[in-house]
Amino acid sequence: MRRLFAGLAVGALLVAASACGSSGGSGSSGKSPTSANPTTVKVGIIPILDVAPLYLGEEKGFFKRNGLKLSLTPAQGGAAIVPGVVSGQFQFGFSNVTSLMVAQTNGVPVKAVANGVASTGEPGADFGGLTVKKGSAIKSAKDLAGKTVAVNTLKNINDTAVREAVRKAGGDSSKVKFVELAFDQMPAALAKGQIDAAMAVEPALTTIKSQGGTEIAWPFVDVAEGLTIAMYFTSTQYAQANPAVAKAFQKAVAESLAYANTHPDEVRKVLTTYTKIPANLLSELTLPHWPAEANRPAIEVLEKLGEQDGLFKKTPDLDKLLP
Amino acid sequence: MSPRLTNAALGAAGLAGFLALGEAVPRLGLVSEDYFPPTSRIAKALGAELGDRAFWSALGDTLTGWAIGLAIAVGAGIVAGVVVSVVPYLRRATASTVEFLRPIPSVALIPLAVLLYGTELRSVLLLVVYASFWQVLVQVLYGVQDVDPVAEETARSYGLGTWARVRHVLWPTALPYVMTGVRLAAAVALILAVTAELVIGAPGLGARIAVAQTSQAVPDMYALVVVTGLLGLLINVGARTVERRALVWHQSVRGEVAV
Repeated sequence: MRRLFAGLAVGALLVAASACGSSGGSGSSGKSPTSANPTTVKVGIIPILDVAPLYLGEEKGFFKRNGLKLSLTPAQGGAAIVPGVVSGQFQFGFSNVTSLMVAQTNGVPVKAVANGVASTGEPGADFGGLTVKKGSAIKSAKDLAGKTVAVNTLKNINDTAVREAVRKAGGDSSKVKFVELAFDQMPAALAKGQIDAAMAVEPALTTIKSQGGTEIAWPFVDVAEGLTIAMYFTSTQYAQANPAVAKAFQKAVAESLAYANTHPDEVRKVLTTYTKIPANLLSELTLPHWPAEANRPAIEVLEKLGEQDGLFKKTPDLDKLLP
Repeated sequence: MSPRLTNAALGAAGLAGFLALGEAVPRLGLVSEDYFPPTSRIAKALGAELGDRAFWSALGDTLTGWAIGLAIAVGAGIVAGVVVSVVPYLRRATASTVEFLRPIPSVALIPLAVLLYGTELRSVLLLVVYASFWQVLVQVLYGVQDVDPVAEETARSYGLGTWARVRHVLWPTALPYVMTGVRLAAAVALILAVTAELVIGAPGLGARIAVAQTSQAVPDMYALVVVTGLLGLLINVGARTVERRALVWHQSVRGEVAV
């Protein structure tokens, strides 16, 4: 009997503990954070290539210097990050620009605070490419009419970019069939012929190329030169309540991005700490660009294209969204 | 050879055959080695995993989510089951609601978990508890139904109170069912813990599988999948042991001929 009671008591306690767990965010204040007494900020990220500068910047002390302590929390994609930032579980998050514009036009209070990652702008040497399998008859994006193209998310940035690549090559983008497939599954699907082409980013891109697949277009480059792909954002409430923290974060991220851009070897090294990219792929990867500032004219082009393809309910307000 | 030894030998031979098949099929080119690495490469990746501190902390995270979730589900399931059965009319009043809520797959609650708790342990717990709670509850309800009416009436006529009847009549009858529920819940809880980590990204083995997947580290991914399989095996063996210990007195375990 006593054992039963003990069991029940523990169970009840656990229920209570889980029910009244705190929901408040970390301490917020308008004061400038200092390196002596750093403010901890939780950042929701996707454990991929793109966020390497944050790991590097934390290692190099750029965040500490600006009075911040980073708590990088990997999440499985933007679907988990945006609600986390808006509800205050994360102070900052990582998201691609199209998703941020979609969120804003849906009334989700997001505000980009720092640049994230950009296309290299070089055809033939970008971290994302439109690929076909070895020996495919498709030689250019123009040939994709009636073909199946895989993108990681439908009605999002890669979808827009591929459509633009098809248009730039002189094809009809409305004739392309898009299917949704995670980047990591693209090499196998392409090799098996389940899809005709894949919009892949690193490291899946290198896997495809190592199996003899070829790139037929560089859609990010086709959208605009030096296209800003993703940014770090926060909620509008947090940005208003903690302008000093947001500013410090922006500054530390800019320093980290600049450092990552000039130290590719250290980037490859830090990748081994939070991803499991095999050594043979790691040395082959095309790294993205990490400019300190977002490219506003390029984002405007992305917005126009997104609007043309019907991604937004209304026109995104870039003045409000961008830093 | 004793039957037990024969069984063990047959089991080992079956496993060896399976592993050899896993080695041969990709080597012969029947499936692509890139996406289905041979056993030896998976074993090598598994060895590397075991030497990595991050792996052990991921394992710890998964087991924490599993254990806390299971404890809550078992505690709540037993209490709810007994209360529903003992209080008059409650069983019939809740039956339709239970039958409506029970088939909702726990994974369908992932968006809710993310909205409420983000990528923390609590979102794993929500899914684990939801899935395993019903396993326990339903078994408790069945178990209580199985109470011998003669024993129940006898207890009443001896003037035993509600609590004493729960303790001396209802609980011993229901216990074998409860243990079955706990065993099922233990397996389901592990599945849900790993699923939640894989889909939401909460720290644990599931999240590590996802990282290996996005990193194109195929052998590592299979190695981690093997680990979750072994974990499930251990949990099942453990649950059976607990079940046997708790039911030492019961006919099903004693294996005694009925009178």
